[in-house]
Amino acid sequence: MAEYFTARGLPVPPELQRSPLTDWRRWGVLALVMATLYIGVQLLNIDLSRANPSYALGQMARLLRWDFRIMSPQNEFETFWDTAGGLMIVTIFLGIVATAISVAIALPLAFLGARNIMTGNPVTAAIYGVVRIVFNVIRSIDVLIVVILLLPFFGLGSAPGVFGLAFHNIGVLGKLYSEAVEGIDPGPGEAVTATGASRIQVIWTAVLPQIINPFISFSIYRLDANIRLAPILGFVGGGGIGQMLFQTIQLLEYEKAGLIIFMIVVIVASMDFFSAQVRKRLT
Amino acid sequence: MTPIVEITGLRKVFPNGTVALDGIDLTIQRGEFVVLIGLSGSGKSTLLRCINRLVEPTSGRVVFDRTDVTAAPGPELRRIRRRIGMIFQQFNLVKRLTVYSNVLAGRLGYRSMWRTFASRPTDEDVARAYENLGRVGILEKAFSRADQLSGGQQQRVGIARALMQAPELMLADEPVASLDPATSHSVMKYLEEINRKDGITVICSLHFLSLARRYGSRVIALKGGRIAFDGCPADIDEREFKDIYGEDAVEVEIGVTKTAEERVTDERERAAVIPEADSH
Repeated sequence: MAEYFTARGLPVPPELQRSPLTDWRRWGVLALVMATLYIGVQLLNIDLSRANPSYALGQMARLLRWDFRIMSPQNEFETFWDTAGGLMIVTIFLGIVATAISVAIALPLAFLGARNIMTGNPVTAAIYGVVRIVFNVIRSIDVLIVVILLLPFFGLGSAPGVFGLAFHNIGVLGKLYSEAVEGIDPGPGEAVTATGASRIQVIWTAVLPQIINPFISFSIYRLDANIRLAPILGFVGGGGIGQMLFQTIQLLEYEKAGLIIFMIVVIVASMDFFSAQVRKRLT
Repeated sequence: MTPIVEITGLRKVFPNGTVALDGIDLTIQRGEFVVLIGLSGSGKSTLLRCINRLVEPTSGRVVFDRTDVTAAPGPELRRIRRRIGMIFQQFNLVKRLTVYSNVLAGRLGYRSMWRTFASRPTDEDVARAYENLGRVGILEKAFSRADQLSGGQQQRVGIARALMQAPELMLADEPVASLDPATSHSVMKYLEEINRKDGITVICSLHFLSLARRYGSRVIALKGGRIAFDGCPADIDEREFKDIYGEDAVEVEIGVTKTAEERVTDERERAAVIPEADSH
């Protein structure tokens, strides 16, 4: 191929200058990947000797033989809210309330974390830097860790679940919102500034209309994610249906666990669908 | 009569080291239609933005109607900006809002914070909005979203928004550079009208020399952040043109005055050629 170019005195395209078979960089990358995987397998010391497929299949089959007793109160002390259905509803609302709290806190902070709003003054630029660092630190702590850390403060139940989920989401939403603010067209803001408007008026008139759709879109995306995360929180004491799922698994009541997992899948999948539909209409 | 704008020793050096304005001294009288010309990067936009301090000058002074713009603290600067309208190459409308809302935004400098948040313009503002929309012939589009309008219509909305301020000075930053020649003339005619009928001083940057000659009462050419020419549009002769736009453009300009269909080969020449062809 390269002769076509050399014969005509044209520069040879770089991808034709080397043969892929003799390019040491390709072989180098391949060797690096293989070495990493080899080290990983050695370190993990994966033991397959105790695997028992036939036993496992039997247990898995129990997941599908649903035990519907968890859907109704089992004694005089239990109410609807102790059943799987009730706990599922509580869990959904746990996700909704956590999203609402994080939206309310991340929304104003997002403007403080947007470069285009905060530069031009050393004080505001410093606030921008701090807010962005806070967002990144919060975001890097996993929800489960936050919930566990909140347990001694609130005790077992929905409180650490809601606040832990909300806390993590402030970081995620704050970053997403800030980037939406940074992505706006600066032109309208410049024009409105030129009319003699104050900074607050500029944000209200020229910035807000541009970010409303991305804000709604990100909020619904996080609502979707939070409803997916909420059933897990009970595993570490954060309340909701997760606690029941955790108990049934610990007690090897796979017939009950299977039904709960099925309910979670239905809720999460429908939430996912709903979220995608709404966000599609927003763009 | 005191000049409306007095600029002395204006310099702007951007943080990356670019010297956009390198000592501008300029006095503009009320009622003038000043056209700024010059190559891209010659400092036209920066000069316009230093007048209402959208760009903070590095040094020098800008005085608007006896008030020092460069020294004005926030609230006073906003009162000055209120008296200076501005329109832009990219129109800079809030695209998702209606034409009506965009025009009302021109009144923000006069509006209280409460009325801004409550979206409650005064009756007077609403009446003004309709008057100005009618003036630029776009009343029937009042409740269309701004991004559904054509470029020429959007620029007219931009003019209506600026007129809402009841400005004494209108800054126009390449107002027709995104428009076709026919639309360009219609937009320029609105600027001419507000200059002649309302006595609003206009400072307008343009790429096309023919438009500068047609509409300007005074032409100022910038080159490398300095004033290269300042005078009557008719006085821009071959030598001045060469000085402003460089050697290449000169010959094409001469060629064009002879044959309008001269071949266009480079962006710089095009700036000189197309409007000539258009005006014949």
